[in-house]
Amino acid sequence: MTDATTVFPDRRARNVMWAYITTGIAIFGLMVLVGLGMRAEQAQWLNYGPGLFYSLMTLHGAGMITSMVLCGMGGLWYLMNRERAMDPGIAWTAYAFMTIGVVCVIASVWPGGFGASWTFLYPLPFVGATWPSWATGAFLIGLALIMFGWTVWCTQLLGCVLRAYGGLRGATGWDLVFHHARFEASGKAEPPPYAFAALVTAVDGLLAAAGGMLVGIALIVHWLYPGVAIDPLWAKNLTYFFGHTFANLTIYMAIGLVYYALPKYADREWHTSAVLAVAWWGTLLFVAIAYFHHLYMDFAQPQAVQYVGEVASYLAAFPPAVVTIFGGALLVYRSRLRWTMGSMFMYAGLIGWLIGGIGALIDATVPINVSLHNTLWVPAHFHTYLLEGVALFILGWVFWNLETHSGLTSSVRTRWLTGAGIFGGGGILLLGWYVAGADSVPRRYAAEPAPGPDIAAWASIGAVILVIGLIICCVEAIRLAKSPRTETNP
Amino acid sequence: MNSHSAAILVGFLLCAGAILIAMCLIASTTHDTTEPQSVVQPKGYRLRRGWLWALAAVAIVAFGISLAGFPYGKPAEADGPHFKVFAYQYGFQMPPRIPVNTAVVFDVTSRDVNHGFGIYDPTNHLISQVQAMPGYVNHLAVTFTAKGHYTVRCLEYCGIAHAAMQEGFDVQ
Repeated sequence: MTDATTVFPDRRARNVMWAYITTGIAIFGLMVLVGLGMRAEQAQWLNYGPGLFYSLMTLHGAGMITSMVLCGMGGLWYLMNRERAMDPGIAWTAYAFMTIGVVCVIASVWPGGFGASWTFLYPLPFVGATWPSWATGAFLIGLALIMFGWTVWCTQLLGCVLRAYGGLRGATGWDLVFHHARFEASGKAEPPPYAFAALVTAVDGLLAAAGGMLVGIALIVHWLYPGVAIDPLWAKNLTYFFGHTFANLTIYMAIGLVYYALPKYADREWHTSAVLAVAWWGTLLFVAIAYFHHLYMDFAQPQAVQYVGEVASYLAAFPPAVVTIFGGALLVYRSRLRWTMGSMFMYAGLIGWLIGGIGALIDATVPINVSLHNTLWVPAHFHTYLLEGVALFILGWVFWNLETHSGLTSSVRTRWLTGAGIFGGGGILLLGWYVAGADSVPRRYAAEPAPGPDIAAWASIGAVILVIGLIICCVEAIRLAKSPRTETNP
Repeated sequence: MNSHSAAILVGFLLCAGAILIAMCLIASTTHDTTEPQSVVQPKGYRLRRGWLWALAAVAIVAFGISLAGFPYGKPAEADGPHFKVFAYQYGFQMPPRIPVNTAVVFDVTSRDVNHGFGIYDPTNHLISQVQAMPGYVNHLAVTFTAKGHYTVRCLEYCGIAHAAMQEGFDVQ
């Protein structure tokens, strides 16, 4: 774990990474507490009313995705910077735009009271609003700043990938797939697996940002000039294209970190193969067009895209299931993997991703979606792959770094306590959503119809256990961070 | 929970359980005799080929079966009674009675923001839904085979009283 190849000598790059990751984790921690407060309201343990609930719901949705995005940005930027050096100043610029955007979004919710959900479906931010107009503006401008920072980062990352591997042809592994013998003879090294994650994140990220900026600017124009009308279906398509892609990219950013660190734990290599390259081409396409499944119940949509939505949703599952998660399991199978906090989180994250993906595929099947759309099944599956997938990949990456630099690992007792809290408590929390969703309880209700409150009560107990696990994890991370560094460290 | 929902939940939980057990078994092999990657990998790649085809077969069959249940068609031109539904913050304007065993079409729209038109049967289970969007009319075809009181809930977040937005009709 402490060999020289795993030690990262660039302090400036490390500063960039840790700024992104610590900011992301701080937001994540705050949003976990907000989420617990929401579930406690639905369980009728608290009674602060729908106004605050929907403001918190808006903050939780926007904040959680942004927190995971920030963590992924920091880690992936750091890894790619080792392939081809990037200007930290640009990364700091992107960071500045994003953090100012986050502050605007927080201000829109508190003290503004904005509560149109992160989906801000037109014309909800402007009709029947219980918050002042400036809060709507602050939210939209905040989101635009986050998008701008994201665009800057994606552009820099795309430039890095293209320069590092000889343009799009090299970065996509085109010759590796179609001219394998010639590629082998050329003696060129194929891009590492995490470079494919970086390429897909940058390209799909820029497309998502374009969609998000377009609808965001349209809404800002409407906010300034209410006479300017917007087509609600057009706005909804763009909102979900942006939101779905942005949220999904958190997984693909984080898996790039797993590609790098899990093999180190297993003392094996995660090879780039033609199959892996083709899998990422599939991800590039399917992630961008699967968003149609969010509009299955909009019968005014052209019918063809409803079929595209189901097919793309199914196909989007193949690269993870057949290549990345299968590859991760194969990497671990009969290896000398050392079980530490880092490896435990990364491996468990693969399980959460796969299980959450199955929940998503069930919901992406049109006839089933009729009875699950906008029920609690939806937060069930996306919390499975975000909370027990992406967040674990990020924690795994953090512990990989801390363990590497301290030369220490956590005790078995600490790992069990953390695992019991995060996986056990998280499992109870998630099961509550799945059961309630199958039982038709609607999502986004401050006060749920029966049996919602009863299920929310035991789910809240799971959430409390989860929070305890996260606190233990946090204390352990601080202990490792404060430990003296080993000799091989910079 | 009705049998349809229970089947979905049980099917999901069985899949999740199988994945959990399989991944734990794989993780436990790190305590067994280890093998070099060069030995494990070719076996794994052969297995992966089978895994790919198995998943492809499941996906194709699932897609084929699902086609029969797509709710789109052309209900706008369908014969049978059409009922206009207007959603608004925070209620529905809709007929109080719907005929049983009759193919009816709800012509659903909204007067303000996006709403959802979710129909819950007398046992409180969601049986059908469509979005209500301003400027558009969504046509939802339903045949009610059981008499009783049905509840309609908003299934698209629409503002502060979203959770209280419900109406009902009798099927008779």
